[in-house]
Amino acid sequence: MMAKELFPEAQELRKGRIRIETIKDKVTEIIKKLKENGYGHFVMLSCVDWIKEGKFELVYQMWSYEYREHVMISIKIAREGDSMVTLRDLFPQIETYEREIHEMFGVNFVGNPRLGEFILEGWPHMPPMRKDFDTEKFVKELYYKIPEVKEE
Amino acid sequence: MTLNHDDWGKVARMMSKRSLWMVHFCTGCGAMEMPPVMTSRYDMERFGMHAMATPRQADVFLVTGYLAVKTLKRVVQVYEQMRDPKYVIGFGSCTINGGMYWDSYNTIKDLSKYIPVDVYIAGCMPRPEAIIDSFLKLMDMIDKGEAIGWKKYHKYYDQYKKNQRMAYAYRLDEVEDIKEDDAK
Repeated sequence: MMAKELFPEAQELRKGRIRIETIKDKVTEIIKKLKENGYGHFVMLSCVDWIKEGKFELVYQMWSYEYREHVMISIKIAREGDSMVTLRDLFPQIETYEREIHEMFGVNFVGNPRLGEFILEGWPHMPPMRKDFDTEKFVKELYYKIPEVKEE
Repeated sequence: MTLNHDDWGKVARMMSKRSLWMVHFCTGCGAMEMPPVMTSRYDMERFGMHAMATPRQADVFLVTGYLAVKTLKRVVQVYEQMRDPKYVIGFGSCTINGGMYWDSYNTIKDLSKYIPVDVYIAGCMPRPEAIIDSFLKLMDMIDKGEAIGWKKYHKYYDQYKKNQRMAYAYRLDEVEDIKEDDAK
């Protein structure tokens, strides 16, 4: 069954591109249902920081080789004090995306045991991909302040 | 005719400048410019240079592009494994001032703050002709005894180490608690 038949509330952005906006408690169920109905390829999980709304948007992308259709499942969680459940039992590759998003945005995925240091080593500051992290200021106060080697 | 110590140094430099071996360690986009330089089109073996797999047998270290802090740890480790005399060529604008990564939170901006650099090549990316030109420049400097980056590293070791630790810790202060073996 195609995504439009499974979920009548889904938006069709254009042919072969479906967007489902939902809440975080329903995501596991939706992805499970899609997986059982021919959407066997989990493409990626990405995160968007909507700082004015105070929310993180998590987008789960899936693809069906059978129908040649791309489905995006989008949820919004609060920026502070919220969390998402891990989906690593459905598709093992989700674990890696969750680790990355945890490191770059600070989103907590409950049930993922490998959330720790991933790409950055010994990073002591705020997760760097958050919109309130001022990259330019950080660079000017760190790398440009490291002194040149003085020769006598 | 007898030769004194200085003369022997001159002879040694004249010999060593014609058999420079390069560490095969590529970071960033500069790695793309190396195959034409190494292979028959530009053929750096004309100058007695070729790539060597291990740092302990190499003389020249080409840092080919931007360095993330994580890569810097590996670069320093490779550099320290090389035997004296050793020479560093900073490759492209990323090693000079960060280049297009000037505001990236995770790349270092000026390589000479962390390890001594003998020759810089400007450009993004430098053409193979520029790379060959820098090799000739380095050979000339070795011949005249001007390529003394490795001596500077011994002399100002504390300053280089301090700068490296600042970058590893992403902080300007409290750098004492960073372990030396972080990069292992």
